[in-house]
Amino acid sequence: MNQLLAIVALAVVGGAVVVVASRDTRTVLLALAVTLVATPLVADPLATPLGLAARLVGAILATYLLWVVARDRGMGESIASPTGGSRIGWPAEVLMAAGAAVVGYAAHGLGAPADGPALASAAGFAIAALAVAPVVTGHDVIRVGTGLLLLIDAALLVRGALGGTPGDVEQLVTAAMLIVLAGAVAALAANARADGSGGYVFSDPARGRVRREPDAHPLDQS
Amino acid sequence: MSLLPFVLVTSVGAVLALLLRRNDRVATAISVVCLLGAAVTALAIKPGQSVVVGGAGIATTEYLRLFLVLGAIVGLLLAVVGQAVGSRRDAPAVTLGVLATSAMALSLPDARLAVLAATAGGGFGALVTLAPIGGRGGATVGTRVLRATVVAGTMAVAATAWIGRDLSDLAAQPVVFGLAYLAFALAVAIRFGAIPAHAWAARLTDTVPESTLPLVTAWAPAAFAIVALAWADASIAPLLVDLDAVRIVVLAIAIASIVLASVAALVQDDIEHIVGYAIIGDAGVVLLAIAALDPAAWAPARTWILAFVVARSAFAAWAAATRTVFFTGRVADLRGWAIRSPALGVVLALVVIASVGVPGLAAFDARGAIVGLAVEGPFALLVLLGTLSPLVYYGRLFLVGVGRPDERHAGGGSWRPVVSPLDLTDLRRWLSRTWSDNLAVTATGGAALLAVLALAVSSGAFGASAAAAGLPPTLDVSRESFAPEDPPPPIESDAPSAPPAAGDESPAP
Repeated sequence: MNQLLAIVALAVVGGAVVVVASRDTRTVLLALAVTLVATPLVADPLATPLGLAARLVGAILATYLLWVVARDRGMGESIASPTGGSRIGWPAEVLMAAGAAVVGYAAHGLGAPADGPALASAAGFAIAALAVAPVVTGHDVIRVGTGLLLLIDAALLVRGALGGTPGDVEQLVTAAMLIVLAGAVAALAANARADGSGGYVFSDPARGRVRREPDAHPLDQS
Repeated sequence: MSLLPFVLVTSVGAVLALLLRRNDRVATAISVVCLLGAAVTALAIKPGQSVVVGGAGIATTEYLRLFLVLGAIVGLLLAVVGQAVGSRRDAPAVTLGVLATSAMALSLPDARLAVLAATAGGGFGALVTLAPIGGRGGATVGTRVLRATVVAGTMAVAATAWIGRDLSDLAAQPVVFGLAYLAFALAVAIRFGAIPAHAWAARLTDTVPESTLPLVTAWAPAAFAIVALAWADASIAPLLVDLDAVRIVVLAIAIASIVLASVAALVQDDIEHIVGYAIIGDAGVVLLAIAALDPAAWAPARTWILAFVVARSAFAAWAAATRTVFFTGRVADLRGWAIRSPALGVVLALVVIASVGVPGLAAFDARGAIVGLAVEGPFALLVLLGTLSPLVYYGRLFLVGVGRPDERHAGGGSWRPVVSPLDLTDLRRWLSRTWSDNLAVTATGGAALLAVLALAVSSGAFGASAAAAGLPPTLDVSRESFAPEDPPPPIESDAPSAPPAAGDESPAP
């Protein structure tokens, strides 16, 4: 196993853990930048300098668009609006990512010889597992949006693990897609934040949840 | 490369208009000018060109050209209608973004790259939910649109990556091919908002104006679906693997979308929801084509997609114009609309003919061919009848239209042009007054133009059938169409082995 590749894969997954676990928007975006920047490096052989440059610029620009929204303080806000964060805590997220990484490593190739490294498969599965909770249960634009960026990043890692290092054109198209998706998240987040004092929270955060009445001690019998 | 000017005009226009969105007039002007430029540059695209860069590349086809020309013209007309009825200011910029990404998706021969471009198109689509006031609700819906887009994109990336490599040493069961096919088919269903994945599309319909709806739920997913069709025909259909189990799942979603969307449209109170469900129902036919897993469905499916997106755009424009003329979108309050505004009645009649069709129209025959290829036996007749179910909700609209007008809602904007005497001393004010006096006329005129365009496309004008029967983009462009005796292409080829539909001419690029 290439040790350098393992370190980069660890950084990618570590960044993703912080993205889903932290409640501080700026920390989330910094971690997202680490994940997106390091993702194209989880490849063997490495992409050409042109392809790497495209992905690097794409990752930085994608994160910067989100940063622009997070750094601007809204009217009357003294600190940046928080995002949802993990409900089960970062240790549980780490364990989940580790479990998924083992599955991804073991299932490398998914039934046929693969052209990319097994570590990319492991990292892809780990990030996909981490992204599920924010994408499915997130109740604010930043949490769902960063979860979506992690999800597509996981797919890109698995694609690299199966098909090998993408070519220059694919790196360029990938970078453009990441910028568009991150730009859309940023615009939506800015729009939500500009409307009232709720930060990035959805307009109907309780939708889909069933609130149980306190039935242990019914009020009419107390 | 003749595609480059189109991509430059649309992408730069989209970015500029979105960056300058605070200045409404400037952003709209840039968008409209760029949409005009997009139409011109799309017409200048030369089919059969290809550029190879590092093993990948882009290639132009006649179908790509037609799709982009129609997209630019429809986008321009929808922008005009949107300006007249008070649409979202970002809609023209989003149209440009969707066109730019569609151009890339339809010109990239490698499906692994094309799905990335098509996913970016969905990202642009989410921006139509942005609203200057009360933005939290729009952002909530927009995030759900984005979620559907990215989840679908992730599934498609995984499916294309799994098959897009050397599988000569396959160790897994061949059923895994079925899972890859199912993943991409479900991704298309999610992008179209097909039933049961329609929740996001329904919320979108609540939020955005009618004239912007086709951008997100028809045009952007259409490019994604065309990529899926090419991929399925090249990578899945040639395999001698029994995929009936997964085909049944896709068929069930397609048929449920066709039938239940018509039922949902029938019971809706608002015309914008009728438009929303009408799009979902027609998208069900596209899913039928994917479920057919037969290269013979290639040409009719692409013919249907062209007719469907233009016809539904015309329907959306009709709904927007109707709301502007009568100041309401509630069906119950529109009694007598066809009598009070015959022009809108004619527009809807054209839309009905274009979308449901009559035997002999290219779209009607294409839909029949798709049903015949996807479903066998007597069940095919039932499904074919199901595809005619939109007649029920159209009939309801016409019944309401010829009903006795309700006195409480007897008002409504004039549908006749109003032009005050020309004032050469203050031309700007005269133009402004003329524009504001004729909003309903403008909207109705835009809808009428779209309806005529839809009818033309549905009847196979502009060489739609021949373009649809052509090859997908390939870097080594063949000058021959596939004949029935041609051997099937290798698994890694992007070219379908579809013979052109009977009567269709082979496209000579």
